[in-house]
Amino acid sequence: MPTSQPVVLLDEALLDDDVASEPRRRPGRKLWSAVRQNRKATVGALLLLFFVVLAVFPSQIAPYSPTANSFAPSLAPSGAHWLGTTAQGQDIYSQLIWGARLSLIIAFAAGGLATVIAVIVGVSAAYLGGFTDGILSLVTDVLLVIPVFPLIIVIAAYLRSAGTTDMIIVLGALGWSYGARQLRVQVLSLRNRDFLEAARVRGERSLYIIMAEIMPTLTSLIVATFLGSAVYAVLTAAGLQFVGLGDPNAQSWGTMLYWAQNSEALGAGQPLWAIMPGVCVALLGAAFALLNYAFDEISNPALRPARTLGKRAVAKAAGQAEMSGNGTGPRRRQPATAGAAAGSAAGAAHAEGGHVPA
Amino acid sequence: MRFVLRRLGFFVVTMWAAVSFNFFIPRLMPGNPVLAMEAQHPHLGPQAIHALTILLGGGGHQSLLGQYFQYWGHVLTFNFGISITTSFGTSVNSMVMHALPWTLGLVGVTTVLAFILGTFIGLVSAWRRGSLLDSALPPIFVITSSFPYFWIALLAIYFFSIRLGWLPSSGAYNFLNDTPGATWHYVGDVLQHALLPAVTILITSIGGWILTMRNNVITVLSEDYVRMARAKGLSPWKVMWGYAGKNAILPNLTGFAMSLGFVVSGAILVEYVFNYPGVGYMLLNAVNGLDYPLMQALFLLITVAVLLSVLAADIVTAILDPRTRELG
Amino acid sequence: MTRPPAHRPRVGSRTRLLAALLAAGLIAAACGSGSGNGGGGGGGGGGSTSGPTGVVNISDEYGSSWTCQFNPYNSSDVAFGFGPVYEELVYVDGLQSGKATPWLASAFAWSNGNKTLTFTIRSGVKWSDGVAFSAKDVLYSFDLLKKYPALDLNSDWSVLSSVTMKGTNEIVANFKTAAVPYFYYIADETPIVPEHIWSKIKNPVTYLDPHPVGTGAFLMTNCTGQNIQYTANPHYWQPGEPHIKTVNFPAYLSNTPANNDLKTGQDQWGSQFIPSIKSFYIDANPRYFHYYFIPVANVSIFPNLTNPLLAIPAVRQAISYAIDRKRVSQIGEYGYEPPANQTGIVTPTYASWYDSGLAGQYGNAYAYDPHKAVSTLEAAGFTKVNGVFQKNGKPLAFTIINNGGYSDWVAAVDVIKSDLAAVGIEVTPDNLSQTTWNTDVLEGHFELAYDAETGGPGPYYEMRQWLYSPNSAPIGQSASSNWERYRSSTVDQLIDQYAATTSTSVQHQVIDSLEKVMLSQVPVIPVTEEVDWYQYDTEHLAGWVTPGNVYAAPAQYTAPDWGVVLLHLRATS
Repeated sequence: MPTSQPVVLLDEALLDDDVASEPRRRPGRKLWSAVRQNRKATVGALLLLFFVVLAVFPSQIAPYSPTANSFAPSLAPSGAHWLGTTAQGQDIYSQLIWGARLSLIIAFAAGGLATVIAVIVGVSAAYLGGFTDGILSLVTDVLLVIPVFPLIIVIAAYLRSAGTTDMIIVLGALGWSYGARQLRVQVLSLRNRDFLEAARVRGERSLYIIMAEIMPTLTSLIVATFLGSAVYAVLTAAGLQFVGLGDPNAQSWGTMLYWAQNSEALGAGQPLWAIMPGVCVALLGAAFALLNYAFDEISNPALRPARTLGKRAVAKAAGQAEMSGNGTGPRRRQPATAGAAAGSAAGAAHAEGGHVPA
Repeated sequence: MRFVLRRLGFFVVTMWAAVSFNFFIPRLMPGNPVLAMEAQHPHLGPQAIHALTILLGGGGHQSLLGQYFQYWGHVLTFNFGISITTSFGTSVNSMVMHALPWTLGLVGVTTVLAFILGTFIGLVSAWRRGSLLDSALPPIFVITSSFPYFWIALLAIYFFSIRLGWLPSSGAYNFLNDTPGATWHYVGDVLQHALLPAVTILITSIGGWILTMRNNVITVLSEDYVRMARAKGLSPWKVMWGYAGKNAILPNLTGFAMSLGFVVSGAILVEYVFNYPGVGYMLLNAVNGLDYPLMQALFLLITVAVLLSVLAADIVTAILDPRTRELG
Repeated sequence: MTRPPAHRPRVGSRTRLLAALLAAGLIAAACGSGSGNGGGGGGGGGGSTSGPTGVVNISDEYGSSWTCQFNPYNSSDVAFGFGPVYEELVYVDGLQSGKATPWLASAFAWSNGNKTLTFTIRSGVKWSDGVAFSAKDVLYSFDLLKKYPALDLNSDWSVLSSVTMKGTNEIVANFKTAAVPYFYYIADETPIVPEHIWSKIKNPVTYLDPHPVGTGAFLMTNCTGQNIQYTANPHYWQPGEPHIKTVNFPAYLSNTPANNDLKTGQDQWGSQFIPSIKSFYIDANPRYFHYYFIPVANVSIFPNLTNPLLAIPAVRQAISYAIDRKRVSQIGEYGYEPPANQTGIVTPTYASWYDSGLAGQYGNAYAYDPHKAVSTLEAAGFTKVNGVFQKNGKPLAFTIINNGGYSDWVAAVDVIKSDLAAVGIEVTPDNLSQTTWNTDVLEGHFELAYDAETGGPGPYYEMRQWLYSPNSAPIGQSASSNWERYRSSTVDQLIDQYAATTSTSVQHQVIDSLEKVMLSQVPVIPVTEEVDWYQYDTEHLAGWVTPGNVYAAPAQYTAPDWGVVLLHLRATS
């Protein structure tokens, strides 16, 4: 990719030293060990792994097909049906297992889509600056402030029959704003760093600079954005399906809750049918949230701007030894960097899962 | 001042975006909702049909731009028409005004409570780093704040309403036995009906406040001026309140004002599960019945509420934090 | 969207009423001229001398708050006033094959070859504002419907040629042709309104009627968005009636609170679809809580007969054989809606019309037989390719549109889908919003559609809705019924023949012929029998409709029957 000229090679040697002195992380091995060490991350990762296994091998794990409606309806839990049967004569336990697949697909697809858009918008805005930045930031802020859940509800109302794909697209298309904001802030703080300046002077193309120089530093933030988007996607999708705005014939936890609610499961003595899918949604959301929280801690010291590396990083490192989680993610601090304060008001509350309508 | 003006400008742009959303989304969708409305409600007069066409498109009489301007005219004069299915013929404005107090009451009070309690617990927890409180709370609350609101609501109904029969599971008050009025009976009835939904929202949202405050305090505690204060020999209490707390609460404060806007939208599911007659419940019912005029009005209301909170938040921030003023 | 959080798996109810009023139905024989004495439906023995007591609360979810409009000629509002406040000329009990009880008319008689119907109007009746009721009000009401067709919900004037007053207390209705079955709509389904109030209204079509003045047993005394309250009318013309003092009709936006209020006993009269009703409702108070679901019409698959594959009778026959109606009833409808049969006769309600001999010739009215389905298709030249039958490269793969908001219908269609897949017919459910689905059905934009007609006091009404070609319309135009677009002049003639006669043997002959059409041609495929949803609490109230005593259709949403039910109710403690 680099267009080499003799003079570039020479400078590269100098550059390498510069690069080495920067606290740039190489994700991968370091990340992995960090995950293992952080208890929250471990729990989160294990939970996620558990659900992934369920999603990949449902037919091996579930005793029956989720749509097989040949059983007697509304049975209580028994040996043959661990959680009983639905009012339509389907095995609840099997439905629960099979539901993992669609829920995970939604989480990854919608979360992924939102992350991709966030990266494109956030990085472009910060890197290109000027008018483009102004427009992109305005769009980001508007989307950040417009309440997304009611908007999705309104959109779902107009769609004639909202399938799961539609839901994924809508969720992804509306959930990127927070991540974009975060990424933009981060890229802005990097803009004037020496290694980027050097690359520019070398004559590297913008695309190269973005892809090869900036993106690696953003890895953790991108992962964090993805995890946050995944939580949002899981909870919002479950909420939409519960209310009846999804596809009632789909096999997911949200639609299980919808049918349970419709069949008065709670009042008719079948509480497990209504509670268990919710447990799964909650656990999946918790898995992503735990990983997210842990990532903040892991990624924080390395991403700190160089000039403040000194004292605070030391304190953080010391605190990190206590594994009870003391990191402060970039989103929880009042950002000290200029230009981010305007977005912070929107950012701070938005970050907390508890405030995201779900 | 420039800062405030800039924020006002942002407000206007966002409102424009929201209203335009409302205008364009129905026109982008397949099908002709106006025709469907006419088929379903043969008693809709020509005036109502015309109003619906402005709202939803589909009439061939006017250009898109003309409809757009007319729509804006309606919005700015608060002319939101009549409900079509939820309560045929009733003015949307009156319906919204009926629902709004319930949401503001339930969710507003709960959020304030969550904020106060959460901030306090977060502060104490951060102050006592390493204590049992501190090591147990954050993971717990990280987990609970990722729970779906509606699921907690279902659990609450199951345990406290169905199994134990302590509290009612739906409605804002028992309208067969009660008429609204300033009587103790009525107030008691309202509180009884509001307790479960309020607790649900409290449980799910408090986690965020605790964590935020805790993390803010931790950051602040490692700041130099706090160290200075401690070194000076100030009492821990004074340091905590006078220095750490005040600075740590700043992001929480802006978040609080911000959250007031989310109050309206975040509780939609809670209202739905409890059939609590607030704005969120009305929105979901409007969506189910395809009551477009009501739906659009509610969406605009919610957006405006959020925007006003953001505006308020930014102004409060500007007042309290001189740094932001300079960014103007 | 289109999945309204499934509220009320509302099997018909309001739309049922609406469609009933739109359909040009005809009436079961009113058994010639009946003349009864005054005092029709008062139940419960001698009226209590201490005046009406007690309260009954109704649980019937409409999904909206009340608008407090009571115009009985407005299809959205008729169910709220017609019955307890506004009354009819003659009460016809559809569930007792059209048994007629004189009401505001003390007597009636057919003459002139069943082309003239004369009502003797009862005397001594007062409007609730004290003004005397007379034949003039009846004349005025019918004239109003003529002048404003938008108010003529039953299309009375499509068969009437004139309505005149004879003397001071007789109303003579002349029909264009013999239209005996129309008695039901003229006499039972047309509310009578006061001339002295309505003649002053500028536009009766948009008139909201917030304070209705009627002749009925109850006064509408209080209405808010959340509750309508009716109180006993002290000057009601039936002596000793009503026995109940107060009726509350709360508004429910969704099913759950309506069902919960029944469960806690707060409401005593339910018209709700309750899933798992035994464990949810009955078990909560087994001594006093009851339910009784009476089948009244069919929920059917309507094949679009203009579709080339569906036009082949063998395909429709195969579909009918392939569906395990018992399972659909069990799984989709919790067993509440009995399986239907291919004759279209609703049993046991109209069992006397069911021709079992005829049914036996067609596999016992197409009882579940997947092998027969396969052999029928094979005999018609279809071959199975990749598990789906096809002919000339065209596979039997259809979409079936359904009301996504009726969760029980969604579940039922799901079972149908798996049953049909088992024999090699591929069906994809398309769950739409109520409005979209309704429009698509009426306009014929479907391959298969799952829907129900409203029926009437006898199998004739539903058959007419299904098969009478004037009810239908070309694809793209709205058809009030006969959505499958069935056309047969022979069948039209049979239907007209029924309309012109009062002879029961002729009627039975016609119905048998229509049953044969249903069995041989399978124009419509009935799947389950729609029921009136009905729950009742006997702890403090008596006089309910019970399995042995079906004196009226017991659901709140059926007018004017619910007024009759209210007249029978009395407080026991």
